[in-house]
Amino acid sequence: MRVKLWGTRGTIPTPDSATNRYGGNTPCVEVLAASGDRLILDGGLGLHWLGLGLIEDGFGSGKGTAHLLLTHTHFAHIQGVPFCSPAMIPGNQFVVYGRGLGDDSLDDVLRKQMDTTYCPVPNFLSGSIGAHINVREIQAGEFAIGAAKVSAGSLSHVPGTPAFGFRIEADGAALAYIPDVEYVANTDRGTALALAAQVDLLIHDAHFTADEYTRMSGRGHCSADDAVSLAAAAGARRLLLFHHHPDRSDADIDAMVASYADASVLTEGACEGAEYEFG
Amino acid sequence: MKVTFHGVRGSFPVSRPEYADYGGNTSCVEIDTGTATIIIDAGTGIRRAGKELMARGVDEIHLLITHTHWDHIQGLPHFAPLQEPQVTIHLYSLAHNDHQLQEAIAGQQESCFFPLALADSKASLTFTGLEDGESFAIGDTRVCCRRLNHPGVAGGYRLEQNGDAMAYISDVDYCTDLLLGDGMATTDAAQGRRRLQELRDGVRDLAHRTGLMVFDTFFLPEDYEPDWGHSRPDDALQVGRDAEAEIIALFHHKPHRTDADVDALLDRYRNGAGVASLIAARERLQLTL
Repeated sequence: MRVKLWGTRGTIPTPDSATNRYGGNTPCVEVLAASGDRLILDGGLGLHWLGLGLIEDGFGSGKGTAHLLLTHTHFAHIQGVPFCSPAMIPGNQFVVYGRGLGDDSLDDVLRKQMDTTYCPVPNFLSGSIGAHINVREIQAGEFAIGAAKVSAGSLSHVPGTPAFGFRIEADGAALAYIPDVEYVANTDRGTALALAAQVDLLIHDAHFTADEYTRMSGRGHCSADDAVSLAAAAGARRLLLFHHHPDRSDADIDAMVASYADASVLTEGACEGAEYEFG
Repeated sequence: MKVTFHGVRGSFPVSRPEYADYGGNTSCVEIDTGTATIIIDAGTGIRRAGKELMARGVDEIHLLITHTHWDHIQGLPHFAPLQEPQVTIHLYSLAHNDHQLQEAIAGQQESCFFPLALADSKASLTFTGLEDGESFAIGDTRVCCRRLNHPGVAGGYRLEQNGDAMAYISDVDYCTDLLLGDGMATTDAAQGRRRLQELRDGVRDLAHRTGLMVFDTFFLPEDYEPDWGHSRPDDALQVGRDAEAEIIALFHHKPHRTDADVDALLDRYRNGAGVASLIAARERLQLTL
């Protein structure tokens, strides 16, 4: 299983030299199984850059297939979708998994983002343009994508808007992706522990420092302390602090990571462009 | 009037080192007239602008929106003054049939997209729809809005104060023979030519003898697409010469145009430009007219 981070920033892209190293693109993580099954976790702006790479990998000639799993539809997690150029190329296949909110299905929300009021890119969700795109509403539970086993767990995010966390197993390795969570419901910790149990890599929300969180509770995110505590309890082998606050500079993230040097789990900052291989 | 560029990029923000010099934030320009704070467009650059305005204690902001494509409004939910009860923000844009600015702006903060609804903003908000060619006063500054040739409903602005003037003309295709905007296409060829002429006249009127003309140069001649609604540096120079603008600022840089590309573009067009000054808009650049 190969994992590559294309976007690690929370909330809004941060084009700024102070955030160049950990990166300013919003969430997007690529998981490629040895079988060739390609999963993409979230469609933040990192998806634009991932898409450029896919053009060189079969998608340029309309022969690519990818599975896009969305934790939720807050803008920072879907804003890369209109700018994913392989979606404009006929022959490519995309399956999008996630859930809508209230009366809006996932398909409704994605179409709203591409409405002509907001978006000049031709709407490839319409069916008549570009790639074949299959939008699937999912619930918490397990399903297979080719050789990969996916578990989706529903976690508290902002009030009224839950977010999925995902566990991906393939090639004898496991990854957990929990980018947006605030541990407020009784069930949240148990759900996250099950997703992250004994994983090779846990990518976890660390939007706030422990100090910030005392002032920012109720905003839908946890603290880096929560991430480290969950990683330890779940027996994760390696933790990436993810969904960096837009005001957090590279130096700030370095300092945050350094403060966990003595943690029982190897703890690092999620860095755009970083690649990992397991199994 | 003091002009500050907070976002100069078109389409979507680019957060990589090779764009860091000119900047990767989407469209946002601030004009401090000395008596009023005016911001044109609310791309991601408005986030930093908002922090600076709060630090300066500004409590009345006039926000001129050219159109509601994502790269011109996506920063607004992250604009700190929106959450300050003492602040009033006046929003303006071209009105056109069913195009309602407030609805579009509120739509991007629906709960599926963003945790905080626009209606829950602590600041006071006003929304004003403008007619093509309408002129109005913000303090001692005259603002004029003209329709531009771009998909949807897009406008450009001219600001004039005590004989100093600047124009913000983005997004626009100045040279195309296609009528790109909502409700503009026509099967009557003569009417179509008239409409194109009016749109080009509108651009030149906005730019007429301005000290600074900010102009959409998303395309180069070699990658130009006639139906996207964007211009090339060649168009900016032609308008600048025809309208006698002093400084032309290339703006709305294409996402993959690196800092080195922008520098090369300036070298290419400065030779024989025939205008007083050609610059490329850069984040944090300040110009005083």
